[in-house]
Amino acid sequence: MRQLTKALAVFSMMGGLITGSQALAEPFKVGVCYDLSKAYTFASPQVSQAAMDLAKLVNLKGGIGGEPVEVIVRDHGNEPQRGIECYSKLSREGVFVFDTLSTPVSLAILPRAMEDGRVLMQSLVGRGDAVDGTVFDWVYPVGPTYWGQAANDVAYLKQLHDGDLSDVKVGFVYFDYPFGQEPIEILETLSEKEGFDLELYPVPLPGSDQASVWSKVRRDKPDHVIVWMLGGAHVVASKEMQRNRIPMDKYISVNWLNEVDIANIGNEAAIGLKRGTNVVGGLDVPLRQEILAELYEKGEGSGPLEKTEDVFYNTGLAMYSIVFEAARKAVELEGLPITPESYKAGLETLKDFDANGLMAPITVTGEDHGGGGKTRIEMWDGETWVPQTDWISAYSDVVWDVVKESSEKYGQ
Amino acid sequence: MFYRLSGVHHADYISDSRMFKVPADRNLAVFFLIIGVAAPFIIPSLYLNSYMLPWLIWTAAALGLNLVTGWAGQLHLGYAAVMAVGAYSAIHAAKFGVPWEFALIIGGLASSVIGSLFAFAALRVKGLYLALTTLAMQFVMDWVLTHSPAISGGSHASLQSPTLALLGQDITSDAGYYYVAFGWCVLVTIFMLNLKRTGLGRALVAVREKDFAAAILGVNSFYYKILAFATSSFIAGVSGALLVATFFFLAAPEQFSVNVSIQVLAMVIVGGLGSIIGSYFGVALILLVPGLVNGLVAAGSEAIGMQINVETLAHIPNAVYGALIVVILLIEPLGLGKLYGNIREYLMVWPFDQLRK
Repeated sequence: MRQLTKALAVFSMMGGLITGSQALAEPFKVGVCYDLSKAYTFASPQVSQAAMDLAKLVNLKGGIGGEPVEVIVRDHGNEPQRGIECYSKLSREGVFVFDTLSTPVSLAILPRAMEDGRVLMQSLVGRGDAVDGTVFDWVYPVGPTYWGQAANDVAYLKQLHDGDLSDVKVGFVYFDYPFGQEPIEILETLSEKEGFDLELYPVPLPGSDQASVWSKVRRDKPDHVIVWMLGGAHVVASKEMQRNRIPMDKYISVNWLNEVDIANIGNEAAIGLKRGTNVVGGLDVPLRQEILAELYEKGEGSGPLEKTEDVFYNTGLAMYSIVFEAARKAVELEGLPITPESYKAGLETLKDFDANGLMAPITVTGEDHGGGGKTRIEMWDGETWVPQTDWISAYSDVVWDVVKESSEKYGQ
Repeated sequence: MFYRLSGVHHADYISDSRMFKVPADRNLAVFFLIIGVAAPFIIPSLYLNSYMLPWLIWTAAALGLNLVTGWAGQLHLGYAAVMAVGAYSAIHAAKFGVPWEFALIIGGLASSVIGSLFAFAALRVKGLYLALTTLAMQFVMDWVLTHSPAISGGSHASLQSPTLALLGQDITSDAGYYYVAFGWCVLVTIFMLNLKRTGLGRALVAVREKDFAAAILGVNSFYYKILAFATSSFIAGVSGALLVATFFFLAAPEQFSVNVSIQVLAMVIVGGLGSIIGSYFGVALILLVPGLVNGLVAAGSEAIGMQINVETLAHIPNAVYGALIVVILLIEPLGLGKLYGNIREYLMVWPFDQLRK
């Protein structure tokens, strides 16, 4: 037994040597420090599985500039202290692109990334004003901010009401902490501008008791309800809506609503429900199909197949398509090896990139790190997500006013 | 043999109330002090800044909680809220232009005032009722932080800390941050070591054991409880401020939420109530072990080339860590500090332990 283990050890060392000598240049590594065990588990498994699948696919096709890519997935349990540990450890190992998928951890890492010159991707989490590239050099929240998303929701309502919102009443149901409070300012500004009535309905965390909120909604009779909640809270909301006989098609959710929530609400009951999104929902996404054919049918997927049948999987594919496309651009621009600077330059040359019809086209520039913030509204029809609008980014002047107002406070 | 007792005689009260009665304890303390001072030169910066620094600051904070829970016997479930008060007031003071030395003291005093104000109301009740009242303080603080942008720093609720500067010196290097944390931890430890020897410490212990019995002895239990709350809140406030100034660089409500309160309490309980060295061990276990086990499990599964689902991989360390706490408390319910005490006791007369029996 002992000899066997010795032999194994020698073999594995040899293996290490061989692969070590093959890969002369370091592979392009992405630090995926995620919360896989606490608050964000409603999305993090799907997103990290997408990241790993996409890396495998990129490697099957010959990597980036002939070099393999690697995603390093670590759990930080949504604790800022462990996120910093993950960041410090990986950045000393030569990783310079990070994503946290957690607002508290993203906030905790941000000052360090800015100081050390590491690229912090923080699609859909963290501080939204980081889209202002003139202040946040190293932070790339590619995708919509919550402000932009809320503005786009209003633009959709305006479309729905033939351009006139003056006698429309909009309810805003939100988690009563920073994530949910963020869009209020934008909605208030837009309500003044467009003349619609805005009613606010704060939901105390963790959102398991919403009885009072929805009976108030029933009395106020808003025409639409924009909802900024996550996970199970959607299910609670749908029950309360049924109890109060509020039709489901009034419901416009933030992007954090997926097939698991739909299944919990009930497929039939959820018909008509809408969500804002920056990725295409459903299973007919070309990139997903390709991954299924190349990996899952050969038994090489990074996790269970069910996890890929989820809009958060598509979200993950979108996030990491951007990460790898930027690396490709960086190689085109300045060749190997990719440095933080060349990677940044690569990101900022992304133009109308939509990952083969997977997401809203993004154009990242030195000023706009968000890539334009386009989203659209999709409706659940009982089987799949049906788009209700084109990719839009509305009221960008209003959104950017809020961004600038907030970002200029950074560093003071 | 290792903790030699021969030649140690206490012939008067002064000698009997010395901080280290056994020379070996003192030597050990000096040894670790030297290691602490030399740490930036011998420990790689990753470990220095991601492990040592938060460990020291949290130890200082845990010692503060130990003062009120371990010494004075008052269960406190809102400790992170008190730390938040200190952190936010110190940062706002520093942003306002107050020098950091004073900003830290302002943070400490603000915590002290809020902490003991709450204690005033809370101390009308005892035991579990008191614990729930302190929990209420935590929720009040959470609510205040998430609903007042003026305090929490705008719509993202993240308040950036200005560069730390002490004694006219900007502190920006890894070693600098470490020394600040180290200095504060040493200061709190010395204070706690001395607390044992003073009338205040004995009064607190008397209150902990039975407050009306203490009252019969002439110890005003209400006064000493308030004092314990105020002192521990001061330590909490400065620790919270330093945590943000040297480690997080910005304050966010999640850093001081209710689960953090529970975590600090767990540090104190796993370390051992009323044990100073236990606080060091307890913080190490609660704060650092999850990350370390996580790294080990990840490295282990990579080394043997096993394909484990990332989600499973993330939960294994949690299970291991939970089991570790249970096992430790089963072996020694009085915590890690007592575990160390047992070893010390054993070695004190080893190999002549028959002599003691």
